[in-house]
Amino acid sequence: MNSSVLPLIANPLSYKTHSSNGKERFMKKTVCVVCVSLIFLVTAVAAQNLALKGGTVLTVTKGIIEGGTVLIQEGKITAVGKNVSIPEGVKVIDCSGKYVMPGLIDNHTHIAFDFGDVNEMTDPVTPQVWMKEALYPEDHKILTTLAGGVTTVKTMHGSANVIGGVNVTIKLKYHALPAEMIVEGARHQLKMALGENPKRFYGQQQGRMPSTRMGNAYVMRKAFIEAQEYKAKWDKYEKDKAGGKKDLVPPKKDLKMETLKMVLEKKLSIDCHTYRADEIVWIINFCKEFDIDLMTMSHVIDGYKVADVIAEAGVSFGGWVDWWGYKEEAYDGCPWGFQIMHDAGVNMCINSDSPDEGRYLFRNAGKVLKYTDIPEEDVLKMISINPAKSLELDHRIGSIEVGKDGDIAVFAKHPLDSTTKCVMTIIEGKVYFDYAKHSMTAKGGYGE
Amino acid sequence: MAVSLFFVVALLAFPQDTLLIRNGTIVPVVGETIPNGSVLIQDGKIVKVAADITAPAGAKIIDAEGKIVFPGIVAAMTAIGVTGYPGAGNDVNELGVTTPHVDPYDALNPEDSTIAVTRIGGVTTVMTISGTMNVINGKSVVINLNGNLAEEMICKRDVAQIFNMGAKGQSMYGPPRAGKYPTTLPGIAALVRSKLDQAKMYAAKATATPKKEDQKSEGGKAHPQKRDLGMEALVPVVQGKMPAVFITHNEVTIRNALSIIDEYNLKGILYARAGILKYADRLAAKKIPVIWAGTTTIPDKWEPFDLNYHTASILAEKGVLFCFDLLGFGVNSHNVRNTPVPASISVAHGLPEEEALKALTINPAKILGVENLFGSLESGKVANIAIWSGSPLQMSSRVEKVFIKGKEIPMTSFQTRLRDKFEKIVAERIQRKQGKK
Repeated sequence: MNSSVLPLIANPLSYKTHSSNGKERFMKKTVCVVCVSLIFLVTAVAAQNLALKGGTVLTVTKGIIEGGTVLIQEGKITAVGKNVSIPEGVKVIDCSGKYVMPGLIDNHTHIAFDFGDVNEMTDPVTPQVWMKEALYPEDHKILTTLAGGVTTVKTMHGSANVIGGVNVTIKLKYHALPAEMIVEGARHQLKMALGENPKRFYGQQQGRMPSTRMGNAYVMRKAFIEAQEYKAKWDKYEKDKAGGKKDLVPPKKDLKMETLKMVLEKKLSIDCHTYRADEIVWIINFCKEFDIDLMTMSHVIDGYKVADVIAEAGVSFGGWVDWWGYKEEAYDGCPWGFQIMHDAGVNMCINSDSPDEGRYLFRNAGKVLKYTDIPEEDVLKMISINPAKSLELDHRIGSIEVGKDGDIAVFAKHPLDSTTKCVMTIIEGKVYFDYAKHSMTAKGGYGE
Repeated sequence: MAVSLFFVVALLAFPQDTLLIRNGTIVPVVGETIPNGSVLIQDGKIVKVAADITAPAGAKIIDAEGKIVFPGIVAAMTAIGVTGYPGAGNDVNELGVTTPHVDPYDALNPEDSTIAVTRIGGVTTVMTISGTMNVINGKSVVINLNGNLAEEMICKRDVAQIFNMGAKGQSMYGPPRAGKYPTTLPGIAALVRSKLDQAKMYAAKATATPKKEDQKSEGGKAHPQKRDLGMEALVPVVQGKMPAVFITHNEVTIRNALSIIDEYNLKGILYARAGILKYADRLAAKKIPVIWAGTTTIPDKWEPFDLNYHTASILAEKGVLFCFDLLGFGVNSHNVRNTPVPASISVAHGLPEEEALKALTINPAKILGVENLFGSLESGKVANIAIWSGSPLQMSSRVEKVFIKGKEIPMTSFQTRLRDKFEKIVAERIQRKQGKK
């Protein structure tokens, strides 16, 4: 089976060949491990108590444990270490020779919707729409994404509107009920968008405002000024009511304004689609002006040009490593920009915005090592704890720590090795993806 | 000025340098890997690949210790050189339903920024096509990604004619052309057949002996046939001299393409995004090569999640000649440097590395008919070489040096210039702010 044709390439399968500082922790000296003989001891899917035993545990926040065990009980991680005693009755999954990391997090995707449910393209301001109301747990792209080790995604409204809908953060519990998938306990993020997309959808295609970046700015500002007025009315009403005033007539409810009022009250935060450096600075200032929380910017193609400004504002970067050129505002994409932003202290997240790329975030993360000298542990954070922070869920997900959710991805080789594959994905202690069962190479194949 | 320009051109046209790359792990693709081996380059060509080569007098020596010496990657379907800046700079996809006469050579721009971005990613040779949106799209050229003038980049013109068996509309996934034939798959197949029939008749007319009455009226000469540039472009296709690439999208479009290749005895090449496995045996038997662009296609709901991840390994097993493509036409020409991505995914799912590396180099060279020039490190081939820090199948591997026709290429692009500029600007601004505090 040792059919490698490149036995003479030094570590042909090592993703880490240009290391200058000898940090070779992950490097496997022996190459071409006999292919995929999965020796999982269990095939049952419905266990909430699991022990993942004997793998190289990449905790992301607390170092690497060779031959470690991760114990999950009642959906939560209860023990992590070399010598974990496994209580009787807990199912054991042998992970020796494999890599165990926290379930990957994609903070920008559009899966788990039916086609056409991404952009409410009828008005440039639609904060009244909530993506959770279109959630489609039967979308098979949930499974194809799970097969890339992803457990949590922020699945989003599109970028046609200056103010779009409210995104929803979900766990990829394929076939579950929508309510079981939605992650509660953290603020969801309202989608906003600047630049060419709203200009194209409204100005060019519908002959209405906005058709320029000035128009984008006006539409966004006008909506938030109205929301401030709306909030003031309601605040006064609530205050009067609390003060015991009689015969009060409540202001008229407006669902658009209700959502924006929640943003002003910081019950929702914002993810803004940006490309150009001037827009990035503009939206940071805009959110300061209205005292609203910009948690994440998506795409941020020019982010490296204003890396210091993004870092100071404490906004997360959510983008790709090397996409560029597909439209004018994407022309200055530069993969080396990751180094500039990382050095400036930006919270960097690699996301997909694509059901295709969302299946191999780990492979895309490997590209960061090509273009930068960012340490591996920080690169792994870009697909785990960093997006967890951008979602304000880092207390629950994004690393392997006691007390966190039992969301785990098991890889055949190190996740930054481009020839690896995910062999198992676990959410809250339950196996949702198992290569040995779902692969076309599995006995019977076509397993679902 | 004119004189110095002449010298520059002369130097480019006749590179005299002798170059010895040594101490590297030579992965010639064709032939055994040589640890600590050498490659000798003279006049832009590889003259020797061996474990130990003594440096000729005056040779420039490049030490590749600990590095991988690999042939330049060959990318099969791109629009590099004709896309350039989005909008007016984009010359892909001329309007029309059949535009076989359109030639990307006529728009080839050596200043296209995708050229430098792509070559410093280890891709040295590409086929550039004129588009994909029409039923018959036009001609194609194979170019090296270096040259001050289009002529210096050209390796081969009239490489193949590009047909799209699913071109229902003006955009790949868009709605059908409003009220304009054809809008269905059988309509497309019928149109292709009728155009090929016309081309056969056109060719027959051109070579027919003149009729008696014509001889009288035209002084013994046949009526000169009215020239039709579209037909002229299709004649070599129906004569089996110029390959025809059929872009396919699913089982039906593959079947239609294979039928037409059969009926018209064409030199067919399949470009496939899905649904290819059922036809693997037939493709192998008929020796029809495949440009496989479907590794990253998301399978249909009823298919296993890894169907397309495994496809390359099954094609290799069945002996189909295939190469990787990353849907690299149109604006996606910007990402041709990522051609190894589908190769690495396929290796993760069972494709032997050897086959993956071939499918990035010698296989596309064979499919494009330029295997005598490119695709491996062998004596006599053009010295298109990249020195990598590690396996080209690893996303983390860096391309450290690139040679095209034996000439060392500066490792700079539009993007490295942006990097250098803004590294400085951001650092200075941070310093200024710290100064203020």
